Amino acid sequence: MSVRVSAMSVLPPVRRDRVIAQLPQYFRKEAAFHTKEDFNNKVKTACQEQRTGTVGRFKISKVIVVGDLAVGKTCLINRFCKDAFDKNYKATIGVDFEMERFEVLGVPFSLQLWDTAGQERFKCIASTYYRGAQVVIIAFDVNDIASLGHVRQWLEDALKENDPTGVQLFLIGTKKDLSSPAQYSQIEQDALKLAQEIKAEYWAVSSLTGENVKEFFFRVASLAFETNVLAELEKSGSRQIGGVVRINSTSNNLHASSKKKQPNCCAFQDNQGHRQVKSKLQTENKEKDLKDFCGQSRRRDAGVSTS
Amino acid sequence: MALQGPEELGEQVEEPEDLDDQDASSISPAEEITMPPGPGGDEEPEEALLLPWDRFATWLHCICVVGFDLELGQAVEVIYPHHSKLSEKEKTSICYLSFPDSNSGCLGDTQFCFRFRQGSNRKSSLACFLETTDRDAPPCLKREQGHYYGYVYFRQVRDKSLKRGYFQKSLVLISKLPYVTFFHSLLKIMAPEYFEKQEPCLEAACNDIDRWPSPHPGRILTLPIMGVVIKVRIPTSYDKPGTSQLVQSAQSDSQVSIVLPTIHEVDLFRCFCPVFFHIQMLWELVLLGEALVVMAPSPAESSDTVLALASCISPLRYCSDFRPYFTIHDSEFKEYTTRTQAPPSVILGVTNPFFAKTLQHWPHIIRIGDMKQAGEMAKQMKVKKLKNLKTLDSKPGVYTAYKPYLNKDEEIIKQLQKGVQQKRPSAAQNAILRRYFLELTQSFIIPLERYVASLMPLQKSISPWKSPPQLRPFIQQDFMKTLEKAGPQLTSRLKGDWIGLYRNFLKSPNFDGWFRNRRREMTQKLEALHLEALCEEDLQQRVQMHTEVETVDLVLKLKDKLTQAEKEQLPVRPGTVAKLRAHIEAVILALPDDLQGILHKPSTP
Repeated sequence: MSVRVSAMSVLPPVRRDRVIAQLPQYFRKEAAFHTKEDFNNKVKTACQEQRTGTVGRFKISKVIVVGDLAVGKTCLINRFCKDAFDKNYKATIGVDFEMERFEVLGVPFSLQLWDTAGQERFKCIASTYYRGAQVVIIAFDVNDIASLGHVRQWLEDALKENDPTGVQLFLIGTKKDLSSPAQYSQIEQDALKLAQEIKAEYWAVSSLTGENVKEFFFRVASLAFETNVLAELEKSGSRQIGGVVRINSTSNNLHASSKKKQPNCCAFQDNQGHRQVKSKLQTENKEKDLKDFCGQSRRRDAGVSTS
Repeated sequence: MALQGPEELGEQVEEPEDLDDQDASSISPAEEITMPPGPGGDEEPEEALLLPWDRFATWLHCICVVGFDLELGQAVEVIYPHHSKLSEKEKTSICYLSFPDSNSGCLGDTQFCFRFRQGSNRKSSLACFLETTDRDAPPCLKREQGHYYGYVYFRQVRDKSLKRGYFQKSLVLISKLPYVTFFHSLLKIMAPEYFEKQEPCLEAACNDIDRWPSPHPGRILTLPIMGVVIKVRIPTSYDKPGTSQLVQSAQSDSQVSIVLPTIHEVDLFRCFCPVFFHIQMLWELVLLGEALVVMAPSPAESSDTVLALASCISPLRYCSDFRPYFTIHDSEFKEYTTRTQAPPSVILGVTNPFFAKTLQHWPHIIRIGDMKQAGEMAKQMKVKKLKNLKTLDSKPGVYTAYKPYLNKDEEIIKQLQKGVQQKRPSAAQNAILRRYFLELTQSFIIPLERYVASLMPLQKSISPWKSPPQLRPFIQQDFMKTLEKAGPQLTSRLKGDWIGLYRNFLKSPNFDGWFRNRRREMTQKLEALHLEALCEEDLQQRVQMHTEVETVDLVLKLKDKLTQAEKEQLPVRPGTVAKLRAHIEAVILALPDDLQGILHKPSTP
């Protein structure tokens, strides 16, 4: 089976206003994921050299948006994805979905935005949708202190299905336009405190006016991207070391290791070639994946699930 | 284009006669605006006009939950969406076909599929739209006309809290689309969640599906479902057969996104493993539309094998009825098992031992035991005599008196056997076998294609002022004569009685279906060429030489042509339709005012 990328490249180019060249800054210093002014140097170099590995052109991060009923989760996403604001309230049934494509430091990157229903009725299925999330956005209404109070519960639910250390958290106050400066600064104190406790980055936005909406999602995309690339660099680093160790073990591994050496001695012309070699490099992982996959498809065809 | 306007869209209901009791909210035009465009963004304009549940309807007819009631037996417990229509007869069929039919264990989770006849003639108001989406699909992937597929996820587990000590339930997707691999993958995601979390889960899943882009061949579709995104590409009839455009990428993270390399192909090698030595004979039997029955230990095995059989002649479409899983309760049971007539041209998959007796008289019986791992292979090579088929304790194998037309291809057998010895992955074995069948079918069909293409009249016989020329008739003798020089020997090394095979094939439903399709395509091509020729003419000049009556007649004829071109989506060069419209307009304008008013009224905007 050859990896054909051509079919995937039928996607239209990324919209101009979704290109991120500089790290967007935090909203409040007290509650920020980090306060660095620019992207991590390793990440920048990797992107320049196209060494982004799986953070390639179809790398995706899954983002879930949770929070109380009617705090404006869908409006937030619609403002960003469609630049629209619909005053009529229509409750989300189950889950909404949007895919938003970016280009960060010249590398295509997508966010899968899963907009979950705030209604109690759908609580039981929510966990299904939370699985595999890399970013959790917890929304509350800055005019409704109770919705801020429920943040911890939302967080707990969302983290049940995920590895808490692998998740980036954002706490976002919505409907800022409805709040007076005095009222707002009061609730912001509480929100900042909570954000620090749960280790979330804090933002406040208005989907009606659009204030901070774009900035917020750019920050989300940038941080998710940065984390992904760093994780990938770390993985590929350790993998190469592993390869060296295994040279002595068996002939099979020797073969795999010699393949792994290739990137050090070849210059890669394009991203695609790079990826192909890269995928060869992942022999070990991939073989395992393939086995899993074959096993899965066999089971699937047999019509017997083992899950 | 296919959809003519919001007035018609407003009547979106499953059955037109039910317009009155339709929930008003679902036909309100306001809904149209709030309908979000699905993911992907590159939508056809007509997709933006779809109403709630329209998108869902392009994929599924409905979802059923079938449970087991101690008093009533199987019963449809839930139909979702609630407005979906199923006749009582259809519900009964679904009930019986969604459960294993005999005491065949099936502990745990089992997936299989069935196919049943559509009860009432319900024509969806979306039909026109669906036809457009279906146009580019290969023949074997087009929407079913008179049948539904049922894709089943059956769970049977011990549950002490229940009266019988067992939980038995099936989640069933009812669809006209033959995307077996796709729907099984979908069920694998949905069903376990449903069994755990009940109805809200169905509601959410259906809502997810209702935002999917419609199943348009050739596009890469992004389909979010229950927190995962499935990526698929529905093949087109222009794809090079045997290639896949979308391949499982190494990067995909199964928790976030799943790439399905195929939506419909079953693992041929695994399915044919128990009857491995006879694959070529089975191909002939399927090609000729012979009556075949597969007796298997479970619905999963019977349905996989029947689907493998029906698909082994791809890219030809298997045109007779086939039932991946058939039970004694089926509405066609009597029709298909009667002894007063010759067995019908169908492929049946059965599990109930009762059939061994009922179908004893059938000419070809495939009996498979428990499907083993792909590594193990049937040992015995001989075709079994039908009289040796005892009712219950017969061994796996093919029971028939059929003598194949073509000589046996030892090479493919050796190649696959070698693969087994070398522990070649099942996926690779499957690919080899699939390619083998494909080449065999293509060798067989190319001479027919070539002959049929020669039935097309010459370009110069197309005159704008005469009706389009007719296709020349298919004459069996003429066709047979072409085989001497341009027969399958050009592309296949197989020897044998090819002539006999063709002679028999020409009598089969598969030929009939194939030829009808070809004839329709070619007739449309002729219509299109004729239309193009017409557009090239200077109509105004011609009109000047004719009387008013003749001109009016011309306008009416042109309008008919225009309607036909739009309705049948004739394969004309781009711009032709617009040109024709301009011609009509110009001719009308040359007429007196009163006539203009009359002629302008219908259809042209």
